[in-house]
Amino acid sequence: MTASPFDRVSFRTQVLTRHLQTSPSTALSSPSPPSSDPLSSSPCLSYSPPELSESPPAFDTNQMRALLDAHDIRERDWVFNLILQSNLFNPRKIGHRTFVSPDYNQSMEQQREITMRRVEYLLHRGVYRGWLTGRDAESELRKLAVFEVISIFDHSLGVKLGVHFFLWGGAIQFFGTKRHHDKWLQVSEDYGIKGCFAMTELGHGTNVKGIETVTTYDSLTGEFVINTPCETAQKYWIGGAAKHATHTIVFSQLNINGKNEGVHAFIVQIRDADGNICPNIRIADCGHKIGLNGVDNGRIWFDNVRIPRENLLNSVADVSPDGQYLSTIKDPDQRFAAFLAPLTSGRVNIAASAVYKSKVGLATAIRYSLSRRAFAAAPNEPEILLLDYPTHQRRLLPLLAKTYAMSFAANYLKSVFVQRTPETNKTIHVVSSAFKATLTWHNMRTLQECREACGGQGLKTENRVGQLKSEYDVQSTFEGDNNVLMQQISKALLAEYVSAQKNKKPFKGLWLEHMNGTSPVIPSQLSSSDLRCSGFQTDIFYLRERDLLNRFAAQVSELQRLGHSREQALLLSYQLAEDLGRAFADKAIFLTFIEAEEKVPAGSLKDVLGLVRSLYALIILEEDAAFLRYGYLSTENAAAVREEVKKLCSGLRPHALALVRSFGIPDAFLGPIAFDWVDANSWSSAQS
Amino acid sequence: MADSDQVLVEDKLFVKKLIFNRPRQLNALSYVMVDRLSELFLAYEEDPDVKLIILKGTGRAFCAGGDVAAVARDISKGDWRLGGKFFRKEFILNYLMATYTKAQVSILNGIVMGGGAGASIHGRFRVATENTVFAMPETALGLFPDVGASYFLSRLPGFFGEYVGLIGARLDGAEMLACGLATHFVHSTKLPLLEAALCEARLNDLVNISGIIDKYAYHPEVKEKSAFRRLDIIERCFSHRTVEEIFSAVEKEAAKRDEDWISGALESLKKASPTSLKISLKSIRVGRLQGVGECLVREFRMVFHVLQGEISRDFFEGSRAILLDKDKNPKWKPSSLDQVSDSMVDRYFSRVDDEGWEDLELPARSDLPAFAIAKL
Repeated sequence: MTASPFDRVSFRTQVLTRHLQTSPSTALSSPSPPSSDPLSSSPCLSYSPPELSESPPAFDTNQMRALLDAHDIRERDWVFNLILQSNLFNPRKIGHRTFVSPDYNQSMEQQREITMRRVEYLLHRGVYRGWLTGRDAESELRKLAVFEVISIFDHSLGVKLGVHFFLWGGAIQFFGTKRHHDKWLQVSEDYGIKGCFAMTELGHGTNVKGIETVTTYDSLTGEFVINTPCETAQKYWIGGAAKHATHTIVFSQLNINGKNEGVHAFIVQIRDADGNICPNIRIADCGHKIGLNGVDNGRIWFDNVRIPRENLLNSVADVSPDGQYLSTIKDPDQRFAAFLAPLTSGRVNIAASAVYKSKVGLATAIRYSLSRRAFAAAPNEPEILLLDYPTHQRRLLPLLAKTYAMSFAANYLKSVFVQRTPETNKTIHVVSSAFKATLTWHNMRTLQECREACGGQGLKTENRVGQLKSEYDVQSTFEGDNNVLMQQISKALLAEYVSAQKNKKPFKGLWLEHMNGTSPVIPSQLSSSDLRCSGFQTDIFYLRERDLLNRFAAQVSELQRLGHSREQALLLSYQLAEDLGRAFADKAIFLTFIEAEEKVPAGSLKDVLGLVRSLYALIILEEDAAFLRYGYLSTENAAAVREEVKKLCSGLRPHALALVRSFGIPDAFLGPIAFDWVDANSWSSAQS
Repeated sequence: MADSDQVLVEDKLFVKKLIFNRPRQLNALSYVMVDRLSELFLAYEEDPDVKLIILKGTGRAFCAGGDVAAVARDISKGDWRLGGKFFRKEFILNYLMATYTKAQVSILNGIVMGGGAGASIHGRFRVATENTVFAMPETALGLFPDVGASYFLSRLPGFFGEYVGLIGARLDGAEMLACGLATHFVHSTKLPLLEAALCEARLNDLVNISGIIDKYAYHPEVKEKSAFRRLDIIERCFSHRTVEEIFSAVEKEAAKRDEDWISGALESLKKASPTSLKISLKSIRVGRLQGVGECLVREFRMVFHVLQGEISRDFFEGSRAILLDKDKNPKWKPSSLDQVSDSMVDRYFSRVDDEGWEDLELPARSDLPAFAIAKL
């Protein structure tokens, strides 16, 4: 069929006319009757803010934000204010709105300089007060809150601060003793010196034990001597090293009287106050990266660098003036584990802040989908709002539900971390590994989906979503490769299993107590209300973990019986290990959701949370093949799950705007596409 | 004076001139005036012949604020909820102006305070003159900068908004223009010509109202001793996280330098209601992250808590001391900053649970131009 140009024009006109007259939210269900009134007032599509077209929130979005942010709302808002009010943060007027985000069109050098100036601005505003000198739980939480806010603006700024405070400062706090605390903490908090953290080498990353840097002790002068013996021992990716850092923590093998005592940490000055590199130290730049170019990653070589004996961070081990090695921890493995503590704080921070980028992506993509239309269902009908397409709901809303769940998970992790005791160390290690990996993977996946959901607009740097992908990609690698971290979970669970069997003691901790009872039974025909019931959801997460742990333990022991070493057996069981690691992480996240939900009084907010929680649980059931592979769900039940996901997506559709509003991200931190994108792209905006 | 004379209306071709006409009260906004303005603004928005609204005042004031004294008197006679009626009407008018589809030109040839700022700053064009005196003096009155001030003050450069809002600083026309509260500065002798030009403009010319005003406008020098020339010091002091920290930073700066504006700022901080200072700071900080509608809804909740007087009765004490008894010696309670806890401050922002009081319901606004949408 060929239509004349005139027909096409008049068809288009009719479509447009209908837009202007139809209430957007009802567009799909009840098209308005054709109207005789031609397009008089507005000849084109016009932008309509979702706030006007959507029904008002069914719950108090401030209350929801308080639940998601959980702590330090005032501190967060203060830092948002500081960023908004300074020209250093690159405010740009686009259309009739002001947005802040870094200028990624700047050269690498410019990005590094502006990042350092932003660090200094926040310093002079007193943002870091107490970050190293105050060690109570409140100041730790406040610090984490500020990192979340800053990471919404820019990852480079967050990393630059994270290296200085979490890694350099954390190493001094955790591995140092009073003499180090007195000497370094206050001056670091005030940026009298700039610290970095030289752990990773070209040849060794996540496997820290294998690093090749060597330190010996010279008892004649009372000095340690540090060397880079080969090219693979060069320190690599050291944030801050290429330009700004004056001091670093060096991780090195310690060789005393011919005996290797394992990895230890030392304070080394690498630049003088004027920024000149110190003698016997060579530094090279890591160069341009796929993102995070505001951070000056560098490489360091040490050539017989001599440092005073006192620069050994000696909380777990020391060397006496006459060169004797002294340690309270005899087991080198345990000694080594103690050295990884600052990485745990880094992982907590990464996990918690990853959620906030998912929030930026979702707030942007969902707001856009509530103002952008495409295709009419039939001729003479209005084009349909993107989020009114069930497919679009299915793409974005499950990610929204997961982001909610992971917010609660991050809050749980932060709270156990800041109240840590020697007894909670294992939990923190396992949970931080699980959440760091799961939340950062989720973030990348969410950003990609949101980028695509914004169509071509997602490709514009100013709309943020696409750029965030490359800025945050590194999260799955630093502070421990995600895959390696996930394997550690299965190993830890197996250790719990073996110890429970051997000692005939019940499981305790890591939410494994369910293993002590009988196996949950899943109804053979799941109804809609079964599927939305937290009892069923809990049961099936327990069932999956229980069964996978049993299978994993059985497979490892079978392989050992066949003559494989324990290590080999674990390696060969990687498929079950992967399934089990995911089962643990999903379960833990789910349980933190339930815990948060329980504290909310009955009402509309709790009702909506219930829908979000059900969507979280069911999307996991739908996505992870383990439920079908091992038969936790019959094919019939799996079909029921899929049907329910669809219903939950459309059930959450009316709440979508309020749910992203509750993220509490100020408008200026989202992209222009989240608002009046017609105005932002108008000819007159292009002229200014 | 008859109620109907409190706002005079002059009809021109495409232009309506609305004139506040209570010169003896410095054109303080009465309920009648707010009601009348709302009615006129709504009618003009529908009227295709109206392209432009000019707002001005008779006498030496544009408008010195809401008639707070009347509100306080009413309240002292009866139910405190009665005060809500005035604020509700006023805030809705503010919202209407902020999202108005037609141009509003406010001629600020005199005093512009409190409610007067609310009736002008939200509009599209604000013309200051050499006679303009602007202030948001609410913290001295036991109130807080309302009428959407948490929206427009928070959008001033750097932390100037915190300075203006907490101190109740007086700004002249040149300062208003420099910081963005005014869009134009016209010498008062040129005002008749400007008004005539606007009234006689043909329809096509009205597309460029800014261009018409520009012909009479110029950029005056901000005076040498103006606080606006000290934005760096203002940032150092007023960017702090709490009122206590701001107070001690101002104290330090005042000791360091012999400048009137900073010693004046310190005096104002000492005189203001401690509760008002704290809720005002939080209001501006939260307001910076919100749209104008959200700001008004939140401020209206704050007004409820102020009028209800459960956390502090400073508004009544301030009205007594400044407006009624005029002894200028209010006895604030709590009397010092450290007695006003964070949780007390938070209560001002909490949702209202009272049978006789509903949240501010903003009128639905559609077909908005981009500049108005940006404020939502």
